[in-house]
Amino acid sequence: MRFFIESIGVLAPGLSGWEDTRAVALGEKPLVCTPLSPPAPQCLPAAERRRSGVTARLAIAAAEQALAGSSIAADRLSMVFAASEAAGEITHQLCEVLAGTREVSPTTFHNSVHNAPMGYLSIAIGARRSGTSICRGPWTLAAGLVCSALELEATREPVLFACYDSPLAPPMRASLPVVEPTALAFVLSAARTERTIAECAIASVPSAGEPRWPAWVPEAWRPNPSALGFIVLAALAAPGGSARVPLAPDQDLEIRC
Amino acid sequence: MKPLAVTAFTTTSAAGIGNAATLQALRAGRTGLAPNALPWAPIPCWIGEVAAAQREALPAPFADYDCANTRLAWHALAQDGFREAVAAARNRVGAARVGVFLGTTTSGIRSTEEAYAHREASGALPANFRYATCHNMDASTEFVRLALGLAGPALTVSTACSSSAKVFGVAERYLRAGWIGAAVVGGVDTLCLTTLYGFSALQLVSEDVCRPYDAARHGLSIGEAAGFALLEAGVDSPLELRGYGETSDAHHMSTPHPEGEGARRAMEQALAAAGTGPDAIDYVNLHGTASAANDLSEGRAVHDLFGDRVACSSTKGFTGHTLGAAGITEAAITLLALREGFVPGSPTTRTVDPATRCRVVLAGEARALGLAMSNSFGFGGNNAALLFGRRA
Repeated sequence: MRFFIESIGVLAPGLSGWEDTRAVALGEKPLVCTPLSPPAPQCLPAAERRRSGVTARLAIAAAEQALAGSSIAADRLSMVFAASEAAGEITHQLCEVLAGTREVSPTTFHNSVHNAPMGYLSIAIGARRSGTSICRGPWTLAAGLVCSALELEATREPVLFACYDSPLAPPMRASLPVVEPTALAFVLSAARTERTIAECAIASVPSAGEPRWPAWVPEAWRPNPSALGFIVLAALAAPGGSARVPLAPDQDLEIRC
Repeated sequence: MKPLAVTAFTTTSAAGIGNAATLQALRAGRTGLAPNALPWAPIPCWIGEVAAAQREALPAPFADYDCANTRLAWHALAQDGFREAVAAARNRVGAARVGVFLGTTTSGIRSTEEAYAHREASGALPANFRYATCHNMDASTEFVRLALGLAGPALTVSTACSSSAKVFGVAERYLRAGWIGAAVVGGVDTLCLTTLYGFSALQLVSEDVCRPYDAARHGLSIGEAAGFALLEAGVDSPLELRGYGETSDAHHMSTPHPEGEGARRAMEQALAAAGTGPDAIDYVNLHGTASAANDLSEGRAVHDLFGDRVACSSTKGFTGHTLGAAGITEAAITLLALREGFVPGSPTTRTVDPATRCRVVLAGEARALGLAMSNSFGFGGNNAALLFGRRA
């Protein structure tokens, strides 16, 4: 299956976009990790901006970068949002309240749905096509990419794909050690444009064992299922690159650029 | 799109465990809802509970996955020969070519709620808390994949109350591309504090039983359910998925577009995918949550498209709103209606709100059906419409 990558958004401590990430991946500059607090997305109306949670802000900020880099109108896009734990900090707030007063805030509750980040972005940019938010545990990045490519193949319309992880509160962190935020976003298209970054082919292949992390990806990011996307970004940084990311217990997704 | 064979399906909800019991309730016009007597969630409301599913722990090899959501999934898988049908498909196309695509909104969060109620003095969750195999959104899907002995692609769709309708679209795209030869689709959601207290906070839960499309409706009744369908490429079956539509409202996080604009586009897409028009449709299974806003906007969109002719009903009066399992629950009811030749009624609805406009059937009726639609809409303005047909 083939598609074109039209644009890329990246957010992680010390990485503020694709150009930045590309330079780090090519060894042109070192990664200097600086704390990242996701910016309040400019595209959201004031009410939604106020209500949005940390995870939504992270995902939307990465998506905004990809949208800004694309020549495709936002309202033409379908969306696939992929996160292993989309509501971690909100689940923590909810479960604390439910273990106590049980006076749940309505905003906290609607922010707790897995598709809240996508819903906010859809409202902000007027995206009225299909929106699919998915989870596949540790294999979320690859599953989301396949899901996006299949949607592109079925509709021949561009797809905004975002994959992200937001730090968990300490009690849940013991089970899933996501301590740093990482988020990636891609606009995928069926046709080459003047903005095209790469043409990619994807295929499911037998697993080749542990993921081969680029040396510059900090250990602290590696528990994040979305951080596997940095393996893909490293392949995209140089022409003719290829990458493998885990797709299932015994399968990898191979991406050739 | 090319019609896709639905070779097996099963539904378990408060209305009935398995298709036969569900069919009996639908034909008798008997609701499965009851006043809430949950000792752990004393809210004055009605609920749709499947208590029997919780009495049996998962078999030992799956002990790590044991939680309320997987117990309900396991109970549902045992009905209607569904596991056997999947085994036959697995033998036909190979385990690696059968996908599993399930919807849920809260997965096994009930186990996390319990863990938070029993935190250590240090604030830590108890040592027996299992995040990856219970709480994670994908936990029930991975359990079902393992329980069915499948090795194909899998994922969980979580788009609130459209989740287990959208899985039909995801599966169709995997099948169309030839990535797989068969797919298990479905969904499971169980009663939990998060949804009971969350929907109450939004003032969307009725103290009375839910009364979809009623002039005196006061909100929803939350239910739990699990259901599955088997979709197979390259085989014939009397029942088929003929089309689907997926759209976003881009309007509001928890309130539908007032005129049901996104809902209408989803229904139109489903019709276009099937290469048919509104006049060919015999029955619409409404999303019909019994919230003031949903029924008004959906009813208007359905009426705009189908006029007065098409029989409609929301079967949430039988099952309650089963959230992430609503899509598959109502898809299964729509398939039963097509297979058995009847239009389900609205057991808890007394006087239809004229402002909702569309033709809501109160008492079920026997009638041969050829094409029927099922609507599912969720928070975030996420809409899905499924179109099923019966081969003549």
